[in-house]
Amino acid sequence: MPTPESPYAKPADFDDYWNGVLAELERAPARPEIEPIPMRETDFATLYGVRLTSIGPYRLFGYLSVPKGSGPFPAIYWPPAYASVLQIIPQGTANEIRRRFVTFSCAGRGQRNADKPFAAMIPGLLTLGIESPLAYVFRGIVADAVRGIQFLSSRDEVEPLRTVVVGNDVALHAVALGGGASYLVCAPALFMDALALAAQTTSYPLEEYNDYLRSSPSMREVVADTLSYFDLRAFAPSVRAHTLLMAGAKGSALAPEALAPISNVLRGGARVYASQQSSYLDGMFSERWIADSLQLGDPILPEHWR
Amino acid sequence: MTYTVDPSYQSKVRKPEDFDQFWDGVKAQTAAVPLRPDLRPDPMRTSEDVDVFQAFYTSLDSVRVASWYCLPKGARAQLPAIIVAPGYQSDPGIPKEWARRGYAALALAPRGKLRSRSQFDPGYPGLLTYGIVDRSVYSYRGFYADAWRGVDFLLGRYEVDSDRIGVTGSSQGGGLTICTAAMRAEIRAAAAGAPYLTGYVDSIELTHTYPYEEINDYLRQRPESRAQVVETLAYFDCINFADKITCPIIVNIGLQDNVCPPETGYALFDKIASADKKLYAYHDQGHSAGSAEHGPVIVDFFDKHLRGV
Repeated sequence: MPTPESPYAKPADFDDYWNGVLAELERAPARPEIEPIPMRETDFATLYGVRLTSIGPYRLFGYLSVPKGSGPFPAIYWPPAYASVLQIIPQGTANEIRRRFVTFSCAGRGQRNADKPFAAMIPGLLTLGIESPLAYVFRGIVADAVRGIQFLSSRDEVEPLRTVVVGNDVALHAVALGGGASYLVCAPALFMDALALAAQTTSYPLEEYNDYLRSSPSMREVVADTLSYFDLRAFAPSVRAHTLLMAGAKGSALAPEALAPISNVLRGGARVYASQQSSYLDGMFSERWIADSLQLGDPILPEHWR
Repeated sequence: MTYTVDPSYQSKVRKPEDFDQFWDGVKAQTAAVPLRPDLRPDPMRTSEDVDVFQAFYTSLDSVRVASWYCLPKGARAQLPAIIVAPGYQSDPGIPKEWARRGYAALALAPRGKLRSRSQFDPGYPGLLTYGIVDRSVYSYRGFYADAWRGVDFLLGRYEVDSDRIGVTGSSQGGGLTICTAAMRAEIRAAAAGAPYLTGYVDSIELTHTYPYEEINDYLRQRPESRAQVVETLAYFDCINFADKITCPIIVNIGLQDNVCPPETGYALFDKIASADKKLYAYHDQGHSAGSAEHGPVIVDFFDKHLRGV
């Protein structure tokens, strides 16, 4: 059952912290290198490997797919995720969507193809550097996500105002900080009242927080302080994109009512969807929401969803 | 009108005549490699009720394989054991929940996964087509061996009852469950979800989603290799392992699975030799294959067959 929301106070220097990250990003030119990947080219889309610089400096990697024909096209951006593998498009998505959309998936630092010099461990990534907001690895990963959306927005093939960002917490971070998207599909998992949620579960990834605090109990306040810079409740008021929040199932820790503190303050309006514990039903809802929002007609679905 | 699955779907997969000979050879080569097990406590991941270890062993071609090993706190008795096989793109979780239920639990990270990448790393996408024109070098030759080798690791553990070992997983983990149950007689119960690596040549026509789309990408680039690809994959298709499974087994599939076509799940189930087998086909379910509802079914299944509960 969702617990009552924990008291949350946005850090006094929250804006300074993130303005500092954005300023650092501005001082690090992206310097994109874009190379075709012939193996993944189809008769309707060309795939490119993209390398970009983010803060650090750190060199990132992404997959950019561009429909053949004259654009501009609507776009989907999948920002870095808590995963080691970077997918071209998410597993199970109809490859045919690459006919309709420019797609860009971006590996944050530590993910495969962006894992030199730093290779992320999973579990491990969620608490790396958590002893300090400045050292926390997600400071860089959020910057990486913003860099990705900046890159996508710079592409002539992309139709302005028809970009949707799809992902977990970092997707919301990126849209709040970087703009560049009119639509957001977000399934919070890591940074919504994180320690309170972690206390309710023994499942990873949140169990990473529990592991850390079990071995370093004296660090609780320090960890809470670091996480306060990443809590979605502080970012939500800056999101102007129309948003679909993919909540957990009713009765779960991330049920719709648990997300009310963010859904109520999203400035572009929000639709909150409660998971039906079916990747088919949940996925269908998300695909239809995107197609309807972008006024694209019927969604392009995998064969077994048609 | 939703998609309708034909439960009598006839797979195009054909079993090579020398299938058994090929895999007997791989097993013999693997057995000749010293296991060299290594168990390292992981204090950070250990909790009040579960001891967590990073485990390592050596597999085919002397590749060092990582895994997570969990035990109920202070376990000394002979325990039932569960091997948890990973999905294609996900990295193995730490199987604390199985340990809480009284099992020794081993979560595998076959070659190419995090912590098992130093000697073999075709990447993602990439794993599914690496060496796909030659069965003697195809990625899954070693990948399967790494999974089967997990049984050897458990057999060497004093706290494990060698007569009570099970295997489970979903997606790629479902495929690995099938082939492990087929090739290791020590497996006494198996639960496979949404099995991948099953009906490869059917799947690349039934669906156009990744990961199977990797094979279509490959064939689009190298259409002249199709016959060799089909020949190689026949040696690795879980449908061709199914007639060796004699232990109790349950299989769950989602009838709207957009990753592993449910038709291939039916074709696989039809070939499983075990007299004690049951298929759970979930409506309105995709690749999650009814996991929320099916999870307790799996727990009860192993409790019955491995714990006698």
